[in-house]
Amino acid sequence: RLDGKFVELLQTVLCSPKCPEQIQVLCAAILREMSPCNDLILSCDEIQDTKLLSLVSSVLLAQENKKAEVSAVGQRIVKVLERRLPEGQSARYLLPVLSNVISLSPESLTEEQTNVVSKKMADWLRYASIQQGVAQPSGGFFSSPRTRQPGPVTEVDGAIATDFFTVLSVGQYYTQDQWLNVQAFSMLRNWLLCYGGKGLKTPNSDDKSGMDRSVMSMVSTTSTSSRLLPPKDRLREKAFEYCQRLIEQSNRRPLKKDDGDLQKACLIEAVTIMDIICKQDSSYVYRAVSFLKILHGRICGDATYARALVPIAQFFLNHSKMASVDSDAIYKHLFTDIPAQLFHNPSLAFEFVQFCKDNSQLFTETSSIFRQSFPNLFKFLAWNSPPLISEFVDLLPFLLDAGTAIEIFHLLLDLPCLTAALDIQLRSTALPTSEKAASDPAVKPATCLEAFRHPLCKTMFQYLLRTKSAPEDAPERLIPLRQLLGSVASNPRVMQCAETVPVLLELFFRVVAEFADGPLINQLVVLLLQRSDQLYEIPAFKDDVYRVLSSQLVMLCKLHPALIVELSKEILEFSGTVSNIQNKEAIFTHMVWAIGEYMSVSYDKRCTVEQINRFFETLEAMLFEITQLRPLASTPSYAPRAISVLMATLTKLAARSQDLIPRVSMFLSKMRTFVQSPAVTSVYCEEDLEEILIRATELMNLLKMPSVAQFVFTPPVGVASTRFQREVNDSLPFALRIVTRLLEPAPGFIPG
Amino acid sequence: VASQCRLLQSSSGRPSAPQLPQLPDEPISLQDAPAGLFQLPPGDPFPERVTVAWLSVLALAFALVCDPQENLSLAEITLRRLAPRLLASLRLLGPGADVLLRPETADILLDRLLPHGQMLFLNERFLQAVDREM
Repeated sequence: RLDGKFVELLQTVLCSPKCPEQIQVLCAAILREMSPCNDLILSCDEIQDTKLLSLVSSVLLAQENKKAEVSAVGQRIVKVLERRLPEGQSARYLLPVLSNVISLSPESLTEEQTNVVSKKMADWLRYASIQQGVAQPSGGFFSSPRTRQPGPVTEVDGAIATDFFTVLSVGQYYTQDQWLNVQAFSMLRNWLLCYGGKGLKTPNSDDKSGMDRSVMSMVSTTSTSSRLLPPKDRLREKAFEYCQRLIEQSNRRPLKKDDGDLQKACLIEAVTIMDIICKQDSSYVYRAVSFLKILHGRICGDATYARALVPIAQFFLNHSKMASVDSDAIYKHLFTDIPAQLFHNPSLAFEFVQFCKDNSQLFTETSSIFRQSFPNLFKFLAWNSPPLISEFVDLLPFLLDAGTAIEIFHLLLDLPCLTAALDIQLRSTALPTSEKAASDPAVKPATCLEAFRHPLCKTMFQYLLRTKSAPEDAPERLIPLRQLLGSVASNPRVMQCAETVPVLLELFFRVVAEFADGPLINQLVVLLLQRSDQLYEIPAFKDDVYRVLSSQLVMLCKLHPALIVELSKEILEFSGTVSNIQNKEAIFTHMVWAIGEYMSVSYDKRCTVEQINRFFETLEAMLFEITQLRPLASTPSYAPRAISVLMATLTKLAARSQDLIPRVSMFLSKMRTFVQSPAVTSVYCEEDLEEILIRATELMNLLKMPSVAQFVFTPPVGVASTRFQREVNDSLPFALRIVTRLLEPAPGFIPG
Repeated sequence: VASQCRLLQSSSGRPSAPQLPQLPDEPISLQDAPAGLFQLPPGDPFPERVTVAWLSVLALAFALVCDPQENLSLAEITLRRLAPRLLASLRLLGPGADVLLRPETADILLDRLLPHGQMLFLNERFLQAVDREM
């Protein structure tokens, strides 16, 4: 906190007339930093100098509006603008302050005041001088008459301007009203959003009441004497003309390359402002629609103008119904061609995805072009993963439903492949035409680039790079392509994309869980098990995906426990393959746990003793395989929790089919030998082996009391979930320990 | 911004920049300077949702924080104009940069090109006029 005296000093220095600008700026900056400041006595009421007023305002506006500073500043600015300014003062320093005021607190200005400003803005926009300014010598007065008459302003391509002045007008020196023209346009969007609609609006609200005024306004826009229009309407008219002029001016080829960038920014701004105007007064729609259709035709083939296609599409989305115009071609071009060609433009990618988010309701219609194009949208994410992942987390729920779930599941798992394919596509198009000859079908492609043009691989690439949803096509055909793309797997962009997949997968399942029915869940589980073999070979990627898939597998089983019975064939096959314990340990372990948990008649009446026995035998064989002691060959190590879960599941199954109990008990009793054998102790760590032994003992003890075991392992469904049913890893040990203690009470232990 | 920049750099396969580059004598070209856009959700660290436009020049990054309805093309243009001027007038890449001793230099620049946070549609000639005034 600054000393009060110092603050007073700062304020005095700031306002003293002879103070150099740098010191003033410094004082203002310090005072702003110290905001909110209670010792502030600054007021903008007496200040005549516009530059100083701007500086003082910046301090006042930083004060968190405790004493209605915002309103005071707003009032003062309007008052200054209303009157004729003294010689040497320029209003141009005040407009940015005004823009700030209305952003902070639109209510600061009365309707009368906004009308005053609207009137002035219309004049500044439309009637700025089209003669160039003169150089201002430091004295501030005009130099001798020998100075050449300044010529007219020119367009960016050098041609003499024949229409009114805009931000795209070029001159060597600028007059004050030309400055005001630039400032006014720069704040126009904000101003219209705030005050252009019916009554006072905050910048973020939509104005749908423009419809009501269409009848009245249709008369006024054709009026030749537009000065008779109320200020708001007049500003709208001038603003509309300004935007039209800008759009025409953007057709010129600029002499300076950087002006081209500004042209495009102006184009985007002009279209957006037209959109706002049409929302506020629908009589403009007819004029705008024809104009913008022509514009679209002009720029749709030019990749450098692609970013402007987004606000144009937004305009048509907002207004084409009213104008009964068919804009399907525009949407089709936007969603089919643009992502496929320009996915690598990060700014376009960002704005495109924002557009999708802003119009998310479009994706809910099944047959719409928007919905059908989701494979194209993911290209943006595949290429520009870090900035867009959070946007796609917001967007994905709108793309997902029963019709798209399966295809999106495959797409997510293959997202890094998509990145790789896009990379190859880019490199292929960059090649000189001499190297682009189609490869010999008989010869196997040596590199990815060759594969891209190889006739046999082409269809695979085409499928991966498709622009439209294709749910019937089988993704299995991508298996050879994934191998081929292996050489690109270490590409940094591919790896960045791979990191986004687990996040999206988790979100995918969370959303799907809300609407999926039994058949869809079954389909997903089968695919989950299948795809676990068919993943792009990036090591960390596979582990992360397995981790997510395994926990989601459990979630699906919880949702639809009958799937264990319904998919028993696929599940038996999966859990009976020994290599799965090594390669896909997470999925295997969780699958086996789910079997133990849900393979029961209380979850599905169709669960027969034969089925339980069949599962038992398969799993018993697995456990036997991995706990076999091979005297000569080295003992491979398996995940300890796989062993634990197999033991637990076998026990659970035995509790339900009690003939199996002796078999399990005998097996469990052999675990002691396993755990103590030297071949095993050298490969597993001590704590793990101890855990396994403890677990085996507890399970054995449980089986000594079959009815308790049955209760613990097969509680009736529908009973409020007890602790015994909840966690995979926690509940069972808890139950076992209680039971163990009951059987072998430690001294001093009180059962309870 | 730093992480976005690093990620973008690494994804294009470029080697990471040396720690303290030599300040080149010619004006630094911003043609290939890494740049990007991303969004921050409300609450962290700004109360409303914002979009950040950023630009990286050698070892420095510049960020411009925009409201959702602001013109992002213009934001990128504004950044590309601010960055070289800030670099030049504050000598940000030179040794012993005394940036903290000259805050008003940055303020004056910002006041001209981004008055009260308002982005300006300035064509090249207007920009020259602004430079002349400074």
